[in-house]
Amino acid sequence: MAERLRFRGGGFVIQRKRHAGWIAGFVIIAAWQASSSLGWASPVFLPSPAGIAKALAGLALSGQLARDVSASLARILVGFSLGASAGLAFGLALGLVSHARAAGLPIVSALFPIPKIALLPLFILWFGIGEPSKWATIGLGVFFPMAIATYSGVDQVPRTLIRMAQSFDVPTAAIVCKVILPGALPGILAGIRISASIALILVVAAEMIAAEHGIGAFILSAGNLMRTEDLLAGVCVLSALGLTVGWAVSRAERRLLGWR
Amino acid sequence: MRPTWIAAAAALLACAQPAAAEKTSLSVLKLASSGPVFLAQDLGHFAAEGLEVEFKFFTAAQPVAVAVVSGDAEFGVTGLTAGFYNLAGKGALKIIAGQSREEPGYKLSAYMVSNQAYDAGVRSPADFAGRSFAMTQVGSTFHYMIGLLAEKKGFDLSKSRLLALQSIPNMVSALKGGQADTAILPSTVAVPMFDRGDAKIVGWAGDETPWQLGALFTSPKTLEGKRATVERFIRAYKKGVAAYDLAFQKKGDQAATDKALDILAKYTEQQKGAIAAGLPYIDPEARFSAKDIAKQVAYWQAQGQADKTVDAKEIVVTSFVQSLD
Repeated sequence: MAERLRFRGGGFVIQRKRHAGWIAGFVIIAAWQASSSLGWASPVFLPSPAGIAKALAGLALSGQLARDVSASLARILVGFSLGASAGLAFGLALGLVSHARAAGLPIVSALFPIPKIALLPLFILWFGIGEPSKWATIGLGVFFPMAIATYSGVDQVPRTLIRMAQSFDVPTAAIVCKVILPGALPGILAGIRISASIALILVVAAEMIAAEHGIGAFILSAGNLMRTEDLLAGVCVLSALGLTVGWAVSRAERRLLGWR
Repeated sequence: MRPTWIAAAAALLACAQPAAAEKTSLSVLKLASSGPVFLAQDLGHFAAEGLEVEFKFFTAAQPVAVAVVSGDAEFGVTGLTAGFYNLAGKGALKIIAGQSREEPGYKLSAYMVSNQAYDAGVRSPADFAGRSFAMTQVGSTFHYMIGLLAEKKGFDLSKSRLLALQSIPNMVSALKGGQADTAILPSTVAVPMFDRGDAKIVGWAGDETPWQLGALFTSPKTLEGKRATVERFIRAYKKGVAAYDLAFQKKGDQAATDKALDILAKYTEQQKGAIAAGLPYIDPEARFSAKDIAKQVAYWQAQGQADKTVDAKEIVVTSFVQSLD
């Protein structure tokens, strides 16, 4: 009788471990709080988690948190919608039209690496110190990753599927809607995931200039005032926003990409 | 006999050679208000106290204070901001001597109005009520000065839009473009703007609201661990302040004035004319007003910009210089 072969093909399969993330987070925060409570970390250099939680509670109770978060979300929503929809359209054009690709790709490569924060003074000259310059900063930051993600998503749609549709004489518009767009969707969703995080980064930069409310303005003024608890409380809020966006995109991926 | 001779010769040599200078460091802005430390350095007052002072230059008041907290510099001299008080309130900074003050007749900080707002009737500091105001940062000296003005003229600052623009060049362009109605700017920036017709000057902060603008400070660690060094530093600093006073405030000796102006021009990298026009008042004995410091802390606390735990009495050390109050 031959010995039963042990199954050896299970390596590196990612399993869902629900609790590991919570435990790791708890251990880090507990160690941090302990070092503050024991006086190893000076409150000047590193505020304690309890101090940050107190600052967060104070912000939430005074209504400042709601006001700042809603002001920032409004900016992100407008900037992201403008930038992402333009990026999506431009990326599709790059992916589908040869002329657009030949002309557009070098432009994207040339403009993508420019730090949008460096252009902030120019945006102020063009759009003023009100909301439009903030939308422009976020929108432009979102545009390029979105365009590139869409373009490469379209590029990775299996050629065989497109050729098959063509040989069945499917109209071009239908091929785009029913083959290319669903095929490019994973790439587009990855683009949304990245560009939504970029929007969160840029809202802080955008709110550097003349923003009265907003989570970025709050973080900057906490830095200016050397209120490190408030600063880290603001950073926690940004992280929470980032987690929420990541969770929402994951939900969308599971729903929209169920066909895979 | 011989060993005694050698010992005597050695002792003589030891006396003739000065002891190696003690190294210390000072964080500072390249502004005329830092004049006394530049004078103390170049006129040899620090060296006479056996100190070799290394300057660490910054471009904003905030990092000057942070550098002292982080231990990158032992002393700092700059303007007092809400951020400074929050750091000091945590026991990280102590004020040990005075620096510049806004005083009547000294054209240090100008009340400025954009041309558009001027045409619309903003002609004096009292008209700043309800107008948008450009400043560098929340809690900055500019923020405090508009607060003082609002207090004096009796207007409600919460009805004005306060625009934090992060830098003086941004303030200049906002004022020029009419995106901000008003601002307070240092004379070195304000006067050229006015001369070019980019904006109007409608008054000077020193005339309206005198206050203790700047101070010399150190960390509690330096204060406790190197008290002798602090004493020598302040002695030299006072001589620098006296030289500043003689050159620019008493103005008795033209040669001294010219030499001091040369030194300031070297450190601040500005035209001598611009420096001379915008020199701040500095108390001739480097005194400061502890009462005014307490008033500033109370103002920031009332505005919610400084922590309630900050105690103005804990921040100041009055054993090195006489009190003004």
